[in-house]
Amino acid sequence: MPEITCREAIHDAMVEEMRRDKRVFLIGEDIGVYGGAFGVSQGMLAEFGPERIRETPISEQAIVGAAAGAAMVGMRPIAEIMFMDFILLAMEPLVNQAAKARYMFGGKAKVPMVIRMPSGSGTGAAAQHSQSLESILMHIPGIKVVAPSTPYDAKGLLISSIRDPNPVCFVEHKLLYKTKGEVPVEEYSIPLGVADVKHEGRDITIVTSGIMVQKSIAVARKLEAEGISIEVIDPRTLRPLDIDAITRSVKKTGRLLVVHEAVKTGGWAGEVMASVSESSAFDYLDSPMRRLTGKDIPIPYNRNLETAAVPQEEDIEREIRAILNNQY
Amino acid sequence: MPTPFIMPKMDMDQETVTIIEWLKKEGDKVEKGEPVIVIETDKITSEVEAPANGKLARVLYKENEEAPVTKAVAYILADGESEADLPKVAEKSEPKDEKMVNKDEGTADKLTTQKAATPVAERLASALHININQIPSSGKKVTKADVETYIKSLDGVQPRVSVAATPAARRVAAEKGISLESLTGSGPRGRVQEVDVMEAASLQIQETRKPASIPGTSIPMVGMRKRIAERMTASYRAAPHIYLTVEVDMTEAENSRKRLSALADRQAKPKVSVTAYLVRMVAWALKRHPYLNASLIDDEIQLWDEVHIGIATALENGLIVPVIHNADTLSIDETNECLRNLTRQARNGELSKAQIEGGTFTISNLGMYGVKSFTAIINPPQSAILAVGSLVRKPVVIDENDAIAVRPILTMTLAADHRIVDGVTAAEFLSDLVEVLETPDLVLFEKTIQRTRQGNSKDANWTDEPEHE
Repeated sequence: MPEITCREAIHDAMVEEMRRDKRVFLIGEDIGVYGGAFGVSQGMLAEFGPERIRETPISEQAIVGAAAGAAMVGMRPIAEIMFMDFILLAMEPLVNQAAKARYMFGGKAKVPMVIRMPSGSGTGAAAQHSQSLESILMHIPGIKVVAPSTPYDAKGLLISSIRDPNPVCFVEHKLLYKTKGEVPVEEYSIPLGVADVKHEGRDITIVTSGIMVQKSIAVARKLEAEGISIEVIDPRTLRPLDIDAITRSVKKTGRLLVVHEAVKTGGWAGEVMASVSESSAFDYLDSPMRRLTGKDIPIPYNRNLETAAVPQEEDIEREIRAILNNQY
Repeated sequence: MPTPFIMPKMDMDQETVTIIEWLKKEGDKVEKGEPVIVIETDKITSEVEAPANGKLARVLYKENEEAPVTKAVAYILADGESEADLPKVAEKSEPKDEKMVNKDEGTADKLTTQKAATPVAERLASALHININQIPSSGKKVTKADVETYIKSLDGVQPRVSVAATPAARRVAAEKGISLESLTGSGPRGRVQEVDVMEAASLQIQETRKPASIPGTSIPMVGMRKRIAERMTASYRAAPHIYLTVEVDMTEAENSRKRLSALADRQAKPKVSVTAYLVRMVAWALKRHPYLNASLIDDEIQLWDEVHIGIATALENGLIVPVIHNADTLSIDETNECLRNLTRQARNGELSKAQIEGGTFTISNLGMYGVKSFTAIINPPQSAILAVGSLVRKPVVIDENDAIAVRPILTMTLAADHRIVDGVTAAEFLSDLVEVLETPDLVLFEKTIQRTRQGNSKDANWTDEPEHE
C-alpha cells in the first residue's frame, strides 16, 4: 500500500467522490486558485472548474446556509470552513436548519452535506484559530461529528460522510495534515459510528481522538517495554459514539483515561465517562476514570505556553503511571 | 516530583518478585543505572538498576518480601527534594505478605504518627471513618469506650459505616462471598482494589485447609518454591497425564558408552554420562515422533522443528531445568560437555535466562539415588517428560528358549499430555527409544529425520498426517 499524508487522503476522497457523483461539489473560502488554506483542494479547480469548486466571500453563514439549501434540493455539498473556530458564525444554518430539517419535515427533506473544518492548536495561530470545538457540535441532535486520526481513516470516513444523508461535521486536526500512513489504492469506505482499537492492551484503556491518538500510541509503544499494556481506542466518530467498543475495552482493563485536546469543562471526555458509568462496565472499574484534556483557557500565542496548554506525550505517560500506581 | 522506583516485569505472566537484597539503604545516593536491588524471579536472581540519580527513599518492601511488579517499591529523591515531596499515601500492594514474613517485627516504621489506641478502637474508628487523633482518650490509649463516647458527642449524627472499594472490587467480593469490611485496601487511602479481594479469596481457601496448631517451622512460599508449585499445579490440572513404563536392556548401550568414554579419555575429556547418552538417543527418537516434541498452546498443537531437551537438576532449595538446545544436532561428545557445563552452572546459580528457556521435552533422572522407577509431572507447556530410574543388573529371559542371563536393565516412565498424545503415539516413541538404546548403531544407520516438510511453512507445524489418526 502506498504511504500518503492525511492532506492527500482528504484531497483524494473529495476528488474520487466528485468524479463518481456529479452532485458532489466543494464550497468555501480560498479553495480554488489558492488551493485551500491548508492546501487540501490544490489542483481541484483545474479538474472540476469554478461551478463545482465554488469560491465564496468571507461569510461562513453564507457558506453553510448555501450548502444546506443545496443539499435539501438534491446536491451533495462539501463546505470547507477555513478554521473550525469560524463555524460559530454559521451556527444558525447548521444548528437550527440543517440539523433539524429532516426531523421537522417528517423525513421528506434530507441534508446530505459535509462541513470540513481544520481544528486544534500547535501552529502558533493563537486563541481564535486554534480551538477544538467538537464538543459543542456533539451537543446538537441531527449532526454527526467525525474526527479521523490517520490518513486511512481520513479517506474512508470522508467518503462515508459524503455519502451519508445527514449533515456531517468533519474535524481535521491541523497537525495531522502532514501525518503519513498507508492507504489502499482501491476504493473503500469506513462506516460511521464504529470505533477502532489502535493499540491493544490489558492494563488501561485510553479513549482518544485526532492528534491525541498518535500521541497515545507513541506512549503505549514506549511503556510496552516496561510491561505496561495500554489499549488505545479511537472512536473515529464522536457522534454517534461507539460506546460498546469502549465498554468492552473497559471491562477488559478495569481502568479508563480519556484524552482530548479540547478544554476539560463540558468536553466530550465527560460524556464518555458518564456513558461508561451508566453501562455494565461500571462494575469492572478498578480505579476512578480520569480525564487528560486541554487546560480551561484560551490557547496562548506563545509557543511554550501553547504546548503547555494541551496534553503532550509526557503528560499522557505521567497520567498513565499515576493511575496504574494509584497516585492521584 | 520524586521518581518512583518501579519493579520491572521480567516475564509475561509474572506478578511478583522476591527481593533478596537491597544493595543500598534509605538515604543512600544512587546513580541512574546502578544496581540497587537483587531480586529472584521464577528461577534466577538478577539485579534491578536505579531509574534515576538521587537519594533512595521510602523503601516499601524489606528483604525476603515479595513485591508486585510494575509498582513502586521505593522512591528516588532528586537534588533539593525531601521526604515531604513523596506521595502522601504509601501504596504497598500486598499487605498479606507483610503478615506472613517478618511476623516478629513491630510496626515501628509506620509512616504517619498516630495517637496510641487499642486495636478494637482503631478498627472501630477506621470503619466509621473517624480520624483517631480527633478522639479524646481517657487513659494512655484511646479505647473502644472513648470512640463510643466521641460518637455520642457528635450530636447523634451517626457516621455512616462504609468501606471504600472500587466497583470491580465490590463485584468480585459479591461473586466470591467475601465481606469488604474484613479487608485491608491497597489503593489510595486504603481503598479496596480488585487485587485485595482476589488475595483474600485465595487466603480463605488456604486457611480452611490449615490443620490444628502443631508446632513447626513455617516457610513462606516465595520465589522459586512458589513458582515450582504454581507450574506443577497448573500442569497437573490442565494436562491429563498418561504414564507408560518400559524396561530397556542396556547391554549394548553400556558397551557403546564405554567405547565412547574411552574415545573421550584419549582426548583427556571426562567420561560420557548415562544422562548425556540418553539425551542423544532421546533426541534421535523425538525427531521421529513430533507429537512428543510439541506444545498445546491456545487450542493449537505446536509441533516444534527443533529439539531442546531440558534436564531436571536438583538444587539445595528446589529444582531447575537447564536446557540443551538443538540436542538433535549435537554429537555425544558435545552433549556430554554441554550437560556438564549446565549442571555446574546450575549448582553455582550461574544459569542465564536463555539457558533455562525454550525446552521442548524434559528428562528427569533419579537413577543415581537408587530409585528404580517413578513418574514425573510434565513441565508445561511441553507435551511429555521421561522419568529415568537406576540401572539395575538383574536376570532376564533373553531368548525364545527361555534362557536367562543377567543384564543391566533400565526402567523408564514416560508421562505424556493425553490431550495431544495418544497412548499408541507415546508407545511408538518409547518403542523406538528402546530399540535405539538396545541397538545404538541405529543412530549411525538411519537418517535422523524421517519426515519431510513441504516448502517453508511459517510455523513449526508438520504438514504430513500424524501416524495414528
